[in-house]
Amino acid sequence: MKILIADDDALSRRLLEKTLERAGYEVTAVENGKQALEQLQKLEAPRLALLDWVMPELDGPGVCRAVRKRSEQTYVYMVLLTSKGTKEETVLGLESGADDYLTKPFNAEELRARLRVGERILLLEDRLVEARENMRFRATHDPLTSLLNRGAIMDLLTRELHRSHREKKSTTILLGDVDHFKRVNDTYGHVVGDEVLIETANRLLGSVRSYDFVGRYGGEEFLVVLNSCDPAFAPARAEAIRKSISNGPIQTAKGSLSLTMSLGALMSSDWGLRPVEELLHEVDTALYKAKASGRDCLRMAQPIARTEPVTAPLLQPLRLQH
Amino acid sequence: MKKNEDSHSDPAWNLAELLERVDNDQELLRDLLNIFKEDFPLTMRSLESAVAAEDLKEAARLAHTLKGMLSSLGGVRTAAAAARLEVIASAGETASLKGALQALKCEAASLLPELEAYMAEVRH
Repeated sequence: MKILIADDDALSRRLLEKTLERAGYEVTAVENGKQALEQLQKLEAPRLALLDWVMPELDGPGVCRAVRKRSEQTYVYMVLLTSKGTKEETVLGLESGADDYLTKPFNAEELRARLRVGERILLLEDRLVEARENMRFRATHDPLTSLLNRGAIMDLLTRELHRSHREKKSTTILLGDVDHFKRVNDTYGHVVGDEVLIETANRLLGSVRSYDFVGRYGGEEFLVVLNSCDPAFAPARAEAIRKSISNGPIQTAKGSLSLTMSLGALMSSDWGLRPVEELLHEVDTALYKAKASGRDCLRMAQPIARTEPVTAPLLQPLRLQH
Repeated sequence: MKKNEDSHSDPAWNLAELLERVDNDQELLRDLLNIFKEDFPLTMRSLESAVAAEDLKEAARLAHTLKGMLSSLGGVRTAAAAARLEVIASAGETASLKGALQALKCEAASLLPELEAYMAEVRH
């Protein structure tokens, strides 16, 4: 494990360095608080720090305060080294954000034991962060396909429409539906149906750019958002996405199945800034037309000819994500 | 482990404690002694200048540094003398400053030969 030592006294620094290296730590040693802060701000910085109290440039408590002020960064476990150890000093040190303090000259065994406490705390933090990330993923993703779930993609779409309107760019919304999916389920069972949905998700993801969004809108319906997509290319890109489904059969436990997808599409340049629900209704209508035209095809939603300027509030307020 | 401020029963150099701290690593011990041999006289000289100029802030800072390196090395009595000087300088007792410096030099004078002797011994 990496550890940072900050001490202006060369002798103490060397002693600490060697003691900690012997205990298996990967040591970075610096001679003042400013350098310590620089080290702790680096990528992959040490998460354990042993800081002398009195140092030039920036003292130990100063480093602690600066580190604690940062948010959204991994926790750094900081131990202050002090020579006095009066009650007032101890309180001041801990209040500055230090996790622990040690009196100089240190006892090697005590030092190692206290650093092990720090490692335990950091391990606990790792587990908490991991659990939080897992929960965040589960709250925004479809468990079967791992695509964004309906709520998440609607949020992203709303933001994207605001952004593209602000930046005067065009967003293309695609709603795709696997043709005759009910037949797959009825004929081969739900396990195969699930396999088809997973493969469909993979093909959709494989046919968009990294900054486009793909989400599972419902059952066998998928929503694709092409960000900053030039309207001139939108139909061709939509066609390519549709063909990614019909291109080659899908391998399932019950053999390979040839499937197709119907698509409805809408470009924000045709529609201006309108509520997401309204826009999705238009895409849905286009998708319905594709189904009615024999499936395995794309239908573009047609712009509504407006006779009067829109005065009503155009968009719902943005929902903030936590 | 409680120590009296003026404990003359403390040795000038607590080699046993230092050896424990370095896990009996003779090479590290030599390293530390070499660093000390280089840093101590420099810091002492700066301290003498600060005391002569009655620069209390600088004197306190230097005394603190000396206290740190001396206590790391097990120079218990000299470290205590540096600590007293730090307290005096921090409290602004200019009148006691020179006496405290003299006491520190006195303790150092008994510590340094011990270190020299040890270094000469392990070299052979």
